[in-house]
Amino acid sequence: MFLLKHHEILGELRVTGTNAMSLKTARALTIAYLALMTISITWPGLLPFARIEPLILGLPFSMAWIAGWVAGSVVVLYLLDRVERRHRQEGDH
Amino acid sequence: MEQWLLVSIVIAGYLLLTLTIGLMAGRRSSDSVAGFVAADRSFGLLVMYFVTGASVFSAFAFLGGPGWAYSRGAAAFYILAYGALGMAPFYWMGPRAASLGRKHGFVTQAQLVTGRFPSNSLSSLIALVSLVAFVPYITLQMRGAGIVIEAVTDGHVPLWLGAAVAYGIVIVYVLSAGAMAVGWTNTFQGIFMVVIAWALGLYLPFRLYGGVRPMFERIATERPDLLTLPGLTATGDPWTWGAYTSLIIVSAVGLMMWPHLFMKAFTAKDDETLRRTVILFPTFQLFLIPIFLIGFSGVLFAGQPPAPDFILPFMILETGLPAIVVGLFCAGALSASMSTGDALLHASASVVVQDGVTKYLDLDDRAQRRLMRGIVLITGGIAYYFALDPDSSLVQLLASAYGIISQLAPPVVAAMYWKRATTTGAISGLVAGTATAFFFFLNPELKLLDLHEGVLGLMVHIPTLVAVSLRTPRQDEGHLRGFFS
Repeated sequence: MFLLKHHEILGELRVTGTNAMSLKTARALTIAYLALMTISITWPGLLPFARIEPLILGLPFSMAWIAGWVAGSVVVLYLLDRVERRHRQEGDH
Repeated sequence: MEQWLLVSIVIAGYLLLTLTIGLMAGRRSSDSVAGFVAADRSFGLLVMYFVTGASVFSAFAFLGGPGWAYSRGAAAFYILAYGALGMAPFYWMGPRAASLGRKHGFVTQAQLVTGRFPSNSLSSLIALVSLVAFVPYITLQMRGAGIVIEAVTDGHVPLWLGAAVAYGIVIVYVLSAGAMAVGWTNTFQGIFMVVIAWALGLYLPFRLYGGVRPMFERIATERPDLLTLPGLTATGDPWTWGAYTSLIIVSAVGLMMWPHLFMKAFTAKDDETLRRTVILFPTFQLFLIPIFLIGFSGVLFAGQPPAPDFILPFMILETGLPAIVVGLFCAGALSASMSTGDALLHASASVVVQDGVTKYLDLDDRAQRRLMRGIVLITGGIAYYFALDPDSSLVQLLASAYGIISQLAPPVVAAMYWKRATTTGAISGLVAGTATAFFFFLNPELKLLDLHEGVLGLMVHIPTLVAVSLRTPRQDEGHLRGFFS
């Protein structure tokens, strides 16, 4: 379920494109990602993924799961920054 | 030549290089308080990135990280989990704090808080809270440096001497050059640490097990308890989800409240640099993966280090690497210790003088700088005294330091984002939260659901801040305009 939501957010970012996105939406999506990440890497959201198998790139599943959310946050913050920067340049924040 | 002598030469060379970089950097800094505390607000992206990364990754991550993976298994994943979460809000908070800093001339976070909530006692309270959290943290870094040097020189350079030499160097460059030296040495040490961690983290599993996957397959068969979240306690019993989850929360909340990290908002050249640092920060976080691999590689290894924290130097020595490589690895671990230790020493002096002493004494710029240097020496001396004491409860003190430092989050956030907050509210919240955290630190058996005392503190702190603020008169509109224009 959490995996699904994760993809939905990234999917929405791709579909909307960062050019057309408003500052409000971008901030809301970033905060949603961070909230979802918090749940997914702690109890209880982590429970379904707190497993060893299958190994991902040789790493235990739970470790790769947490690392994946961390790596994902770079992408989300980068996309947020693109929107924020455009708004700063237009000077309408 | 004997191995330990060769190793010592490599380490000595490394320390000399660090000293040179630190002293050279100082020549670029102005001789003022803004120069010492905030490097004249001049750090670009490269320096900021490594300053932040290298100050977060301390001896605790470099020695404690593998130690946790080795002895407590999956419990160590918490270190990987909290960093990105703790840093992300700084994308907005950092530039906001920076712009308030430029407008009102703040160089510490207590100045930011007391700029909004004017009170000398609040300022001293924040200085005191920071200092109480700092000392065990610096002690840990010094001990880390001493442990590494003692282990790899076969005891020829004992802990007290190793720690003294490494931190003598740190103190020399912090004293002479302040923030500018911390910035440039951390850039050098940061690069060094990343390279060392990945090299060793991949080398050991391949050398001992033929790869990362075969290593985990074997651990999964022979020690599945170790890889099952939330991992084990220090004594080898299963850990609780309450403790795991609340440690992530309190570390994420506390991370950017460490004065040496928060103050980066005031050292950055511009807001763009700050934001980029936040975006790139999680990449630094991923460097914990090889750190964990180092620890896991020791799990099924025949020998045993004297204590889990020794696992990194132990594995380096036991796998028969050439002396020069051993020396370089130790230099990497020393980097981790020194790059956090210098930032901590520097920040503690800035905080004590700016937020404590100058509230009661009127000192000119020169006198302040001199006093800061004195505090660096005193704090260093106290931490060194504790570092020589082989009392292992220091690690527990560090966890508690996070509980205390996280109590700075509500007043900092309220100062920048909540108009209705009042001075009385901020003080009441901080006192109540810190007292609660301290109470549960002393009485761990009373902790609800095994939650971290810092989280329990916040559960009292935030409602107190809100309730008292709402019951006290709203701040003057003119005063608020300085913060919310």
